Amino acid sequence: MDIYLPIAEVAVNAPLIVALGALVGFISGMFGIGGGFLMTPMLVFLGIPAPVAVSSMANHVAASSMSSVIAYSRRRAVDLRMGAVLAAGGVAGAFLGVELFRWLRLLGQADLVVALSYLLFLTVIGGLMLIESLGTILRRRRGETQPPRRDRRPVWLYGLPLKMRFPRSRLYISVIPPVLLGAFVGILSAIMGVGGGFILVPAMIYVLRMPAGMVVGTSLLQIIITAGLTGVLQAGRNQTVDIVLATLLLLGGIVGAQFGARASSRFRAEELRAILALIVLMVGLRMGLGLFLTPEEPFVLLSGANG
Amino acid sequence: MTAALAFAAALAAAPGPPSPPLPPSPAASTTPVISAALTDTNVQVKSDFRGARIVLYGAVFDAAARPSDVVILVRGPEQPVRLTRKQRVAGLWLNSRPVVFRGAPGFYRAASNRPLGDIANFGVLRRLGAGVDHLTINAPEEQRTETRYGVRDVVVSRLGSDYFVWRRAVVRLKEKAGLYHEDDEGVRFVDRGLFRAEIALPTGAPTGVYRADILLFQNGVAVSRRIRTLTVEKVGLERALYVWAHERPWSYGLAAMAFAMLAGWAASAAFRRD
Repeated sequence: MDIYLPIAEVAVNAPLIVALGALVGFISGMFGIGGGFLMTPMLVFLGIPAPVAVSSMANHVAASSMSSVIAYSRRRAVDLRMGAVLAAGGVAGAFLGVELFRWLRLLGQADLVVALSYLLFLTVIGGLMLIESLGTILRRRRGETQPPRRDRRPVWLYGLPLKMRFPRSRLYISVIPPVLLGAFVGILSAIMGVGGGFILVPAMIYVLRMPAGMVVGTSLLQIIITAGLTGVLQAGRNQTVDIVLATLLLLGGIVGAQFGARASSRFRAEELRAILALIVLMVGLRMGLGLFLTPEEPFVLLSGANG
Repeated sequence: MTAALAFAAALAAAPGPPSPPLPPSPAASTTPVISAALTDTNVQVKSDFRGARIVLYGAVFDAAARPSDVVILVRGPEQPVRLTRKQRVAGLWLNSRPVVFRGAPGFYRAASNRPLGDIANFGVLRRLGAGVDHLTINAPEEQRTETRYGVRDVVVSRLGSDYFVWRRAVVRLKEKAGLYHEDDEGVRFVDRGLFRAEIALPTGAPTGVYRADILLFQNGVAVSRRIRTLTVEKVGLERALYVWAHERPWSYGLAAMAFAMLAGWAASAAFRRD
């Protein structure tokens, strides 16, 4: 059953897209991530123009984060103040990212920057996660005790001005690091078509040293605001948001996420992290591979000849 | 055919009040004439659109029955093409500066009853833009005029001798997407003077007005031409969304995002486990 996407101007197999949404939704529910890093490359692989895939993902990310943030806020696991500070950075980053993406498309270098971003961020983060989670698994197998988590926060975090209290997270730090972090993730979300949770979550744990229970809910809040703005900006500036595509993905994603969340309770946290690390690493390497392989067809048609 | 001739003759001979001069009847004149019609002049792009096939029928009227060739050129709305070339820089394959080609139709199909090169010579085909090698695609931004060997206003392309490689790549990529095609057996004579051709539109065919030139060739010269138009347009919900997204992009973006967030909220409410 094929369906014609009005903005992407291609016909896609509707059940296949719903199934893809369900698969990514399952993974996202299981690991507590948005899954944009997985979905966007797959959509491009299925023949959807990259700008449309990247932009429509913003709508999908906002919707799926919305469905999970409500669950977290019921458990009082969202630091609203920290979320607002991160989102303030995210808003600036989204504006910058959408314009940057527009400029890169005009230069014809959007593909390169997207591929490089995937290669760099996914392999680094996937690699670090894999080392950390494998270490934990090995130590547990050998019956050793886990090394205590170093709770000492980096000194520079306290040397910066503009300090603010975050009672929920029991933090008293400068707003500069979270604002910069939010802006950075906002730019990435516009360029890579991802929510940015895979960068935000580790940074909040290891750099801001937020309590682990607060991290996922708060990052989701920042992602909703940033992705919501990115989606509107992409539609307004680039006319590349395909609501039919986003809806199809959503249909599968909602169901998949619920099953994923249930499945996650059967695994240990470090095992989940190891599996996720492998997935992240593979996607990153696959996206970067194109930069090194000799292309069969040296010429590439770019979309949007009128800019 | 004979009946048609007799009818035309009767029309010409019919007495009556003086009327404005009629266009020369096909059979009455000695110049050969071609006529053609499309089975469908409006293609609607809906959610189940998977391309379309349009049949073109036509007839050659030639009292002298000279050997005739028929060439059909279908051109979609013009779409500039941006093209980049992958180049190896420090071990990485990177995109070069993009080159914009103007004058490229968004859809192009050349059909004939035998190879175009056998029907007419290079100059004739080039003037008509018949065949993918003769499309008037060029890259004006890359061109400049200069004086060479004392000759003024020589057009030089910045792409140099690579220009033809780039131009061929445009055609090759469009052919791969099913948008350009040249078929030297695309026109079939089904009866004396009566011919038939099929135009296949792929899913990616651009919307807009298409122009079909139906040309009659005799002795390597185009002696008669008919022009038919064809409209490809989005209809229904597809059209509504497309128009909304392009004419009021901000309200579309806001509505799309509101819809997505509402769907996310509804989902969490529906699956609430406590």
